[in-house]
Amino acid sequence: MAQITTDGLSKEYHSGDEAVVAVEDLDATIGDGEFLVLVGPSGCGKTTTLRCIAGLEDVTDGRILFGDRDMTDRRARNRDVAMVFQNYALYPHMNVRENMGFGLKLSTDMPAAEIDDRVESTAEMMGIEELLDQKPKELSGGQQQRVALGRAIVREPEVFLMDEPLSNLDAKLRAEMRTELQELQHELGVTTVYVTHDQTEAMAMGDRIAVMNDGVLQQVGTPEEVYRSPANEFVADFIGSPSINLFAADVERPARRDAAEGRGATLRGPGGFSYALDDASAVEDRDRVRVGVRPEDLRLVERGGNEATVTVTEHMGNENFLYLEMGGEELTARIDSSLRPEPGDSVRIEFDEEALYLFDPESGDAVKTKTDELGASVTEVR
Amino acid sequence: MREADRREGVWQFLTYTFLLAAVALTLVPIYWMVVAASLPQPAFLSYPPRFLPGTEFLANLDALQGRLDFLRSVGNSVLIAVVYTLLSMLLCSMAGFAFAKYEFRFKEPIFYGILATLVLPIQLLVIPLFLLMVRFGWTNTYQAIILPWAANPIGIFLMRQNMKKIPDALLESARMDGATEFQLFYRIALPTMKSSLAALAIILFLFQWNLFLYPLVVLQEESMYTIPVAFAQLVGFQRVYYDQIMVAATISILPIFALFLALQKQFVSGILAGSLKE
Repeated sequence: MAQITTDGLSKEYHSGDEAVVAVEDLDATIGDGEFLVLVGPSGCGKTTTLRCIAGLEDVTDGRILFGDRDMTDRRARNRDVAMVFQNYALYPHMNVRENMGFGLKLSTDMPAAEIDDRVESTAEMMGIEELLDQKPKELSGGQQQRVALGRAIVREPEVFLMDEPLSNLDAKLRAEMRTELQELQHELGVTTVYVTHDQTEAMAMGDRIAVMNDGVLQQVGTPEEVYRSPANEFVADFIGSPSINLFAADVERPARRDAAEGRGATLRGPGGFSYALDDASAVEDRDRVRVGVRPEDLRLVERGGNEATVTVTEHMGNENFLYLEMGGEELTARIDSSLRPEPGDSVRIEFDEEALYLFDPESGDAVKTKTDELGASVTEVR
Repeated sequence: MREADRREGVWQFLTYTFLLAAVALTLVPIYWMVVAASLPQPAFLSYPPRFLPGTEFLANLDALQGRLDFLRSVGNSVLIAVVYTLLSMLLCSMAGFAFAKYEFRFKEPIFYGILATLVLPIQLLVIPLFLLMVRFGWTNTYQAIILPWAANPIGIFLMRQNMKKIPDALLESARMDGATEFQLFYRIALPTMKSSLAALAIILFLFQWNLFLYPLVVLQEESMYTIPVAFAQLVGFQRVYYDQIMVAATISILPIFALFLALQKQFVSGILAGSLKE
């Protein structure tokens, strides 16, 4: 078991004369036994980071430590790391037993009988003991996936690395395996780095989530932290489904007298959007901000609020997704299934100031995130 | 519908007739060779010609052996071709693996340089190679026939193309499992390449088996002759020993026939493999 530290990790590729930065100055610590999910859009450098930790890519700059051992220049085979690949990468000419035992055979001097015992008990744990004598091509996708996992587990490595291991499974199986993988990881207590582009998977599985974009680490935190207190607009937009509503707004400052009395500022946005802030400290010296509101924080109200036009209503059964148009901006609201406005209807929407996110329009950095009461209790539970 | 069926039937009939004719065209000379090998020379040349095999095969072989030790040539050819095939398979698959799966400086120029050697005809290489062998003191040796062709450009090309299809993840997975680079090659790459290796074996074996001009120049003693070189001795100035040539020819195709039968399943799939982009 090991804590993984990346210290200023950078990776550049060279295509022709051009250098493409895949990972830039990544500092992160993954705790011993922790399940960290690296998430981000495709091409954000998450897989490259994983491959650097695995030793499959040379590092351009920086260091990788397991515990206090420097692994930066060690070959993959000397790192005691097991990796599960997206397409499983089972050896086609070996049966399941040989596939699972291959690593132990090569990297340890364990006697064959003992390897066989280990393979069999792992196969039993994974529920694949009947498949031991079959070749990979005789197995279904789900079975291959289990074998690939079993092959990683049987080695009892210091670190598990998983590169989108569930993305080739159908939705139902994926949800099942997600839970199973989490249980397995907690049981084994092996430090795990898991790469996915699916933020739902990331939220559901990770002890902590590391969000990456353009080779740069945006934020590391628990799922609640990245959801409720995103470091910037990118993280806010990437995490959460449906995505957060974002639009630009001007800050209208009150007359000096009102300000002195503690009265806040007003946000003015597209389509006559107007929102009076009670606490204007976040927008004190700003003229413009980006406003963010989560779909579940939007309410339909009879009076007050702001006006928007319904474009589409999606009935999900337990709730409805309402797509709205407000001054050329598209908004999404997640509302109770009993409320069913029709397309073309005009509705009034409202939200609490505690649920409001504000971002700097230039840097995208968060200037205000959720401050409602949930935050404190959640951190205490954890 | 019936009209279409009928047309289909006619078309099929024509296709099969054509194919049968093509098969006959191919088989007749081989049959003729076997017939000729089993008849005494006068009977073979008689008119009207005889189309049924005779009983003189062993007698003809005896006469052939009396003129030169043909069976020894067969032995030489088999030995040279087998050793060459094994050695060249190893070299070609290692080179192919390196070209397909590793990055190194001047990889492309080196590869295309190797391919470019294909345009050099053997006739051009015979003299320099002969001089080289003389300098090594290797004339009249097996290694003189085997080594110069051991790294076969066609073989390297074939293996590179096929090794490219091995998914990188498979090799990376083995690396993570603790495999050394050489273990990647012989425990992962080679076993997944069985059909390509069978195709390669046949190509290399045939190449060496049919090699004529170069051995003719380098091998001077009859005891070292390979089959094609021995053949050349059977065409005299005064007389052509058709019966003996046919016996020799019949014997010389047997090993190839056996090799192809043994590997044909893999060979066909090996040739097809890589023809489609997957």
